[in-house]
This record gives sequence, C-alpha cells and structure tokens, in this order.
Amino acid sequence: MLRTCPRENEVNDLVTRGQWPHASAEELREHVRTCRACSDLVLVATAFQSVRAETVAAVPRLGSAGALWWRAQLRRRSATVERLSRPLLGAQIFALAVTLLAAASFFGYEARHGVGWLNWLEELPQSVGVQFADLSSPAPFGSAWFWLLAASAAVLVLAAGVAMLLATDKR
Amino acid sequence: MPWEFALPDTLASAATHAAAPPMDSDAFAAFYERSSRLLWAYLARVSNDGALAEDLMQESYVRFLCAEHAPSLAADGEVAARLYLFRIATNLLRDHWRRPRAASIDEISEEFFSAAGGAAQAESRALLGPALQQMKPRERLLLWLAHAEGYSHREIAEVTGLAATSIRLLLFRARRRIAKLLRAGEEQPC
Repeated sequence: MLRTCPRENEVNDLVTRGQWPHASAEELREHVRTCRACSDLVLVATAFQSVRAETVAAVPRLGSAGALWWRAQLRRRSATVERLSRPLLGAQIFALAVTLLAAASFFGYEARHGVGWLNWLEELPQSVGVQFADLSSPAPFGSAWFWLLAASAAVLVLAAGVAMLLATDKR
Repeated sequence: MPWEFALPDTLASAATHAAAPPMDSDAFAAFYERSSRLLWAYLARVSNDGALAEDLMQESYVRFLCAEHAPSLAADGEVAARLYLFRIATNLLRDHWRRPRAASIDEISEEFFSAAGGAAQAESRALLGPALQQMKPRERLLLWLAHAEGYSHREIAEVTGLAATSIRLLLFRARRRIAKLLRAGEEQPC
C-alpha cells in the first residue's frame, strides 16, 4: 500500500541539495525519525548521493569526444547515403524489369510470327562448326568470320577496360 | 552504372548537408565533458559492469549526435539534452537486458566496488552495492535517476518511457525495498 508523507518533497529537496541534516529544522529531523516514508527517503537518498559522488570521482579514463564526434559523422553520412540511394535502387530494378519484359515480349512475338528464329537457332551449331573449320584452315585471314570475331574480341577487351577503370575510380 | 557516377555532386552534397549534427564539435566536446562522467556512473552502477558502461556510453553519444530530433543545446538547453541522452542510454541498457545472455547484470566485479574512499563512503558503497544487486534492473534505474541524479517523476518518465503516474508507486516500492535491505545490512555484524 502506498503510504506517502506530505513532507517527503521538503525532505527530498534538503537531501538533494546536500543540506540534510545540518540545514534542517529540529522539528523536521524529529519528524523523519518517526515517519517511515521520510526515514526511508533519507536513508536511500543519502546512500545514493554518496555513491554517486564517489563513482563520478573514480570514473576511469573515458574515450575522447572528438573520436565520438567523427564516428557519429560517419554514421550519419552513411545513413544518409543509404536513404538517398534507396529510391535509385528501386528505379534501377524497375528499369531492369521493364527491359526484361520488353525483351521477352519481342522474342515471344518473333517466335510466333515466323521470322524463323527457331529454325535459325536449330541450324546454328552446324553453322558455327563450319566456321571454326574455316578458321583452322591454312589461310584464315581471308575469312570475313575471322575479322568479325577479332572485332568482337577487341570490343570486349575495350569494354572490360572501361569497366575496370570505372570500378577503380569509384573506390 | 552506379548512381554515384550519374549524380556524384548532387548526392554527395545532399549527404553532407543531411549529416549536419545537432551541435558543433566544440559544443559537443564541452557537453561531453560535463555529462560523460555522470552518464558513465549511471550506466556502471545500474548495470554493475564498468566495461559495459563505457560501451553503452559511447554508443549513447553517437546515437545522440545521429538522432534527427535530438534537442539542441542552444534552443532546448542542457537539461533537455541530458535527459535525451539518459533516455538513449536507458534504452540501450534495456536492449542489453533483453538479450538472451545478459550475464553482466547479475555479476558484480569486486574491483569496481573496492575503489579508494573515506570511511563513510566505504560504508555506503559496502551497503548499497550488494543491496542494489538484489534489486530488479528497473528498480535500479528508477532509484538512481530519482536519488542520485535527482530527477523529478516527470523527468524519470521521460527517460524511462514509463507512465508518469506509475513512477511514484514504483519508486515508492523500490525505495521501501532497498531501505529494508540497507537496514538489514547495517544490523549484520561485521
């Protein structure tokens, strides 16, 4: 049951200000001796204040404010970048989905309306086989396929170089 | 292509602008100097773990600086800023206690309670340490905030997130219990 005392605040103020018991009236001291709520308050509050003063005085060497400041700066910055990049990532995913959908529609249409993609794909292995046979012939440089292959390889190498450059630049 | 290449300047400047903390570094250093010992004492005494107190204290300051609605020293004053800081620290403590392995709450390090001090202080320490150990974490929080920090019921409610109306009753019960433990400690022969 909650049995508080109307003089608790008065006692608490004196204890908090460090004026108990010296700056208190004899009548109040007498009240505290007979009132359980107030005597509990004085006992507990003085013990806590004493331990607090002692603990604060014995605090070990704490980390520097500057380090915490920069840590917080980094965290705020990365959180902001993450927040800003979220809609961009959504837009990228949306663009990819649209592209895939368009490509699937295109290939589906072409397969149904007969430009002969499926026949062409079926004949592709034989065709490639023939061209590789041409490459291994004594005079490959005269073949148009050779030049097409070389150009493709050059474009691939160039694209890889550009990709590497961009990746390094980002880092 | 990553967005950093497409819009590097715009986003970088937006990030830098949004990363502006609630106070400048000098003001923070002064605030840290005034409040860090008190915050460490609170965390150390309530958790009974000095190392944990330091970790939580640092995290509290970092979160304080990162918080979007943290009170500023200039506009809201020192008291509001300190209350907000204690609130962050209390939430971190609570998160720590909620984790499955919260061994440090119930462990008391001997050297933590055996620092040098006067006879009266040693007596308080010797009695209050074991008594606090027997209290529930929430009771330790309430008692420390009320009697060591001197916060009002409204301020304690703000820090702990408890209803202001229940603080009075919870604090009364906690005080009665710890007073009983302290008296029992005093009566025991050395």
